[in-house]
Amino acid sequence: MDGYAGRMLRVNLSDGDITTEPTPEEVIHDFLGARGLGAYLLWTEVPQGADPLGPDNKLFISTGPLSGTLFPGAGKMDFTTKSPLTGGYAGASVGGMLTAEIKYAGYDSIILEGTSPKPVYLYIDDNAAELRDAEAYWGMGSFALEKRLKDELGEEFQIATVGPAGENLVKYACISHDFGRQAGRGGVGTVMGAKKLKAIAVRGSGGIPIADTAEFARIAKEAYRACKEAELLDVWTRYGTMMVTSWCDENGALPTRNFQSGSFEQGSSIYAPTFREKIVVTDKGCFGCPCPCGKYSYSKKHDVYVEGPEYETNGMMGSDLGVGDIEDIAKANQLCDELGLDTISAGGAIAWAMECYEKGILDRDQTDGLDLRFGNAEATFALIERIARREGWLGNLLAEGVKHAAAEVGQGSEKWAIHVKGMEQSAYDTHDATSMLLAYMTADVGAHHNRAWAITYDISVGRDLVTPEKAAKVIELQHIRPLMDALGCCRLQWVELGMSLDYYAPAMTALTGVEYSWENLLHISERVWNLTRMIWVREVEGFGREWDAPPSRFVEEPAIGGTTDGKFTPPEAAQRMLDYYYEQRGWDDDGIPRPETLERLGLAELVEV
Amino acid sequence: MAVTLIPTGMLREYTGGQDRLELAAGPTVAEMLEEVDIPPAVVAGVVRDGELVPKDYRPRDGETIRVLVIMGGG
Repeated sequence: MDGYAGRMLRVNLSDGDITTEPTPEEVIHDFLGARGLGAYLLWTEVPQGADPLGPDNKLFISTGPLSGTLFPGAGKMDFTTKSPLTGGYAGASVGGMLTAEIKYAGYDSIILEGTSPKPVYLYIDDNAAELRDAEAYWGMGSFALEKRLKDELGEEFQIATVGPAGENLVKYACISHDFGRQAGRGGVGTVMGAKKLKAIAVRGSGGIPIADTAEFARIAKEAYRACKEAELLDVWTRYGTMMVTSWCDENGALPTRNFQSGSFEQGSSIYAPTFREKIVVTDKGCFGCPCPCGKYSYSKKHDVYVEGPEYETNGMMGSDLGVGDIEDIAKANQLCDELGLDTISAGGAIAWAMECYEKGILDRDQTDGLDLRFGNAEATFALIERIARREGWLGNLLAEGVKHAAAEVGQGSEKWAIHVKGMEQSAYDTHDATSMLLAYMTADVGAHHNRAWAITYDISVGRDLVTPEKAAKVIELQHIRPLMDALGCCRLQWVELGMSLDYYAPAMTALTGVEYSWENLLHISERVWNLTRMIWVREVEGFGREWDAPPSRFVEEPAIGGTTDGKFTPPEAAQRMLDYYYEQRGWDDDGIPRPETLERLGLAELVEV
Repeated sequence: MAVTLIPTGMLREYTGGQDRLELAAGPTVAEMLEEVDIPPAVVAGVVRDGELVPKDYRPRDGETIRVLVIMGGG
């Protein structure tokens, strides 16, 4: 089991029982770690039909083989669960320092099951693991609690927390770590809150067994050097993901006023240079990263510190709400982080409500007095607080997610509920980008960009083209990018710095002693992708093609203004892209993996079809 | 004296592999990109002395400008 800790920690929150068990070697072989291990455990351990917020659902916190090693960007891990937001698969990754600490403490995965009768936190110090009382911490914000636990336990402990949003079961609560890193999407923090687990504190002092230490170190150092010599290192370090804001705006991809437009008239006020000049204090990186893309910022206007905003938050708390002041966006970011809300879903929910308000579907009584026009930053701050605490009719409604809210309010508002599978879309407008639209339609958690970021490809080859090649590109990206999540490392060394993909297989071979090729790794990634699909098939009654439907706005309403003015993707074009996609994946017309596909991927026995 | 334009990453596919181009000062960066057949829409950023500048920036004689592509996004 070189490359892995070799054991998992099982924590039963209902009875307080804590045990360790070996990490199954055949599972690691077939699924790798982190995302792959998490998907396998979700499939095998969570019973069909489990209530996402009940004791039968589990939360798997998994590291990968590269996690905590010398390999560039080896600071990622995965939180896997059945999503309370979508009812299907949820996998959310997070950077920072936590993954290395868990690995050094000797665990490939922490399996959280059951529900505690009272608030607790999980304390892990190498082999010592116990549940401790957390009554005094219940209600605390994420940053406040992280600082307090570090003060009480020691700076070297790595902490993950849920804020009030997780406690209040807001369906898109996140898990926060390292004062500004989040496992954001799908409600992983909601599940942790439902289990009454307020925090995890970990310290580890062990090492990682490596099959060929000299060779692994040689590859890792070479890869690291390639990153440090990358021609874009200085720019990515200076601006982080905020770099893409101006490019998105120029290309009609910057979500504006609930994705009605892809261009923001106040765009330049939230571009990267303004951000850097006005509020950035210092750069911040995750474990083992040669490119600290995180930015620690201070807003003098609001007197708040925050890590961020990064691009997604800039889009969803900025332009998508019509907010054009970078300091207001930083404040909204800070509120979401402290309260434990996913900024993307919260932004999507608030944008939907603002559009309802401007169209007269919600009145001021329903907004509990808020003047919810686009651009009203103060109303945004107030609504974020209300969502996190489920205060008022609207705060409670939006806490359920935009799909649920639109179904409740009706009156056509479903048309501007921008989601796929119940997950609010992240910050790329897809009126005129058929690959990116397909990527959102088919992402295995719902409308999230990080599985396949294909919008550059759209712009390079022709934005509105509908071709099998575009579907193939989406599939290719859906195998490469999530592979990084199964390895426990960050994709940005590849996507931002251009680090060669040729490093990964030799590194894995030297690390584990198992001969890997790039094709072999991609095959495993495809296996994991299909397993996550089968989780949807199993958990959602009637799951099929309609669950991959695009948000109506992009296939029915033209974009307003900017370079994509008047553009939208005809519904039949979106469906044709889906046809190409299903065919190439070996799925049937309803998007269900065919038996021969499951057989080819070695999944037939596991999923028993 | 001239302006040095450095296309990075896959932008070199548009310049036949050339990684440095010497161009006369005067036009904006966007105009220079069109002159060397790099579609401005695929250029994610224009960098002068480590700082992002807009595509309508007019480089002066002796300046070096890097143009960036975003390969994989966030």
